[in-house]
Amino acid sequence: MRQSAIRGTLILLGVALNLVPALRHDGRTAGIVPEFRIPANSSTASQTPFFREEFINPDSALPMSHVASICELPDGRLVATWYSGSREGARDVAIFLSTCAPGQSVWSTPRAIVTRESAARDLNRSIKKVGNAVIFEDSTGLLELLYVSITVGGWSGSALNLTTSADQGLTWTPSRRLTLSPFFNFSELVKNAPVALTDDSWVVPIYEEFLGRFPELLWLRKNAGDFIATKSRIAGGELVFQPALVSLSSNTALVVLRDYTPQKKISVARTADAGRTWISPAALDLPNPNSGLDALRLTDGRLLLAFNDSTLGRENLRLAVSVDEGRTWMRVATLDEEGGSIFSYPFLIQGRDGCVHVVYTWKGKAIKHVEFNTGWLDERQHEAAQ
Amino acid sequence: MIHSIIVEIFAAVCPWLALALCFQFGAVLCRVKAIGTRRLLLLGLIALGMLAVPIQGIPIARWVASINSNFSIPFTGLLAVTVWEQAFAKKIFSARDWHTTWIFGAVGGLVLYPLALGFGKFDTYEWGWSFSPLFAGIAALTGLLIWKQNRFGILLLLAIVAYHLRLLESMNYWEYLLDPVYCLISILALGYLLARRCCRRRQPNQR
Repeated sequence: MRQSAIRGTLILLGVALNLVPALRHDGRTAGIVPEFRIPANSSTASQTPFFREEFINPDSALPMSHVASICELPDGRLVATWYSGSREGARDVAIFLSTCAPGQSVWSTPRAIVTRESAARDLNRSIKKVGNAVIFEDSTGLLELLYVSITVGGWSGSALNLTTSADQGLTWTPSRRLTLSPFFNFSELVKNAPVALTDDSWVVPIYEEFLGRFPELLWLRKNAGDFIATKSRIAGGELVFQPALVSLSSNTALVVLRDYTPQKKISVARTADAGRTWISPAALDLPNPNSGLDALRLTDGRLLLAFNDSTLGRENLRLAVSVDEGRTWMRVATLDEEGGSIFSYPFLIQGRDGCVHVVYTWKGKAIKHVEFNTGWLDERQHEAAQ
Repeated sequence: MIHSIIVEIFAAVCPWLALALCFQFGAVLCRVKAIGTRRLLLLGLIALGMLAVPIQGIPIARWVASINSNFSIPFTGLLAVTVWEQAFAKKIFSARDWHTTWIFGAVGGLVLYPLALGFGKFDTYEWGWSFSPLFAGIAALTGLLIWKQNRFGILLLLAIVAYHLRLLESMNYWEYLLDPVYCLISILALGYLLARRCCRRRQPNQR
């Protein structure tokens, strides 16, 4: 009799505890689905064309710099991050940060904010190397840095970590590791910018490159000062990855994808339910030599794409514009081109003043920043149309 | 802060049990049938001391956590059961309980890992983030196993308790139920059991 009572209690407990999550307030289960936050459309009045370019780390003593990201602070300053070291994947690689005052073209002396040693200390585990990092500002003005660390193997053994700065990049909280894969938490990487959601959470385009290469979304929701991270899939192991997420409306978006297949073409996948489900990727008529790219929706509604316009290599970096939500694209400008050189991994943002900022890897050894306004882009688009 | 310390301590439990079990196997090789409480405590302390030894400034336990910090609750429980059974020469899990354990590990692993690693558009790992068929299924299975007096049901009950307490670094329910090591051992154990059964069936015919 007593045994039956204990058994009954255990059964009730087991069932109840498994069913409790159904009652918990959660965006996905409670039917409250956050949508993409779309920046208000700005005036399309013609502007005097403006274009400027400079190096962020011109005096770097380190022979390799790669994978830059950039964001704008509330005071208009720009903050850029990238990684530098003796070579890609070396143990001496560190993530650097530099800032630039509004309207200026001189960047502050780069400062290492994450090293292999600091990551190992924060995460209390062995870290072989650090890699790709993406910086963004959350709705409360905190800077967030999402970065890759590797314990075992190459990029396929990577995991994502998150650290926060409350003083605009001067100091950072101890990093926190995100568990996003059931198989030893292997192979989660980041390259492109997140998109803000209506509930002040974020969706970050990430990707996996372990057994397959495929795009995913990382959902970051703040809860009592901490982030709750979950993950969903855009497409399976179809050999397209490194997504750039572009929100078109509150519910529709597209991802532009790097290609790892022999067809060597940029692919696009679309969603009509704020990223919950995706239509399978389809190839565009733009080449991709298995290289990183980025895309951005401008406040006037046009889409801007930065990509390597070749099937052979990364010897050029071009801009293309779409006025029909990514169905057709027009090449409008070349940011860099030189035979035998490498210009890669562009990262795009649009500042509050409407100016577009592009940061990218220049010849594998420096990070270049290009700034232009929509007037300059209009002019290039007009020339290209003729 | 306190929570992250608890998570780090819990991440060391599985390596600790595994090391204690290795010591026990050593004792078995020395023909010790049941090592008893005192020796078990001693072996446990030695294992704990070894895991605290730093290599390049990182304790061995954290080196293990560097590779896998999310050992599942059933796997941790199985190690604890094995350590206990070895120490006191008493059966806690019956053959039926062990069979359930291996079937759960193998079937769960086959449902989770291929799809989570990208074979297909659908990702079963997503079921573990919030309430889903996974939770409902485990609720039913836990109830059924406890009703049938199968002790693996207790491990499933402990898994959901650990999930609510966030004892692992992961926030995904799958990680509380399965890990790659448990899955691999389950597949090997099932393969061994099937092979043994096949051999036994053949033997009478050979006579």
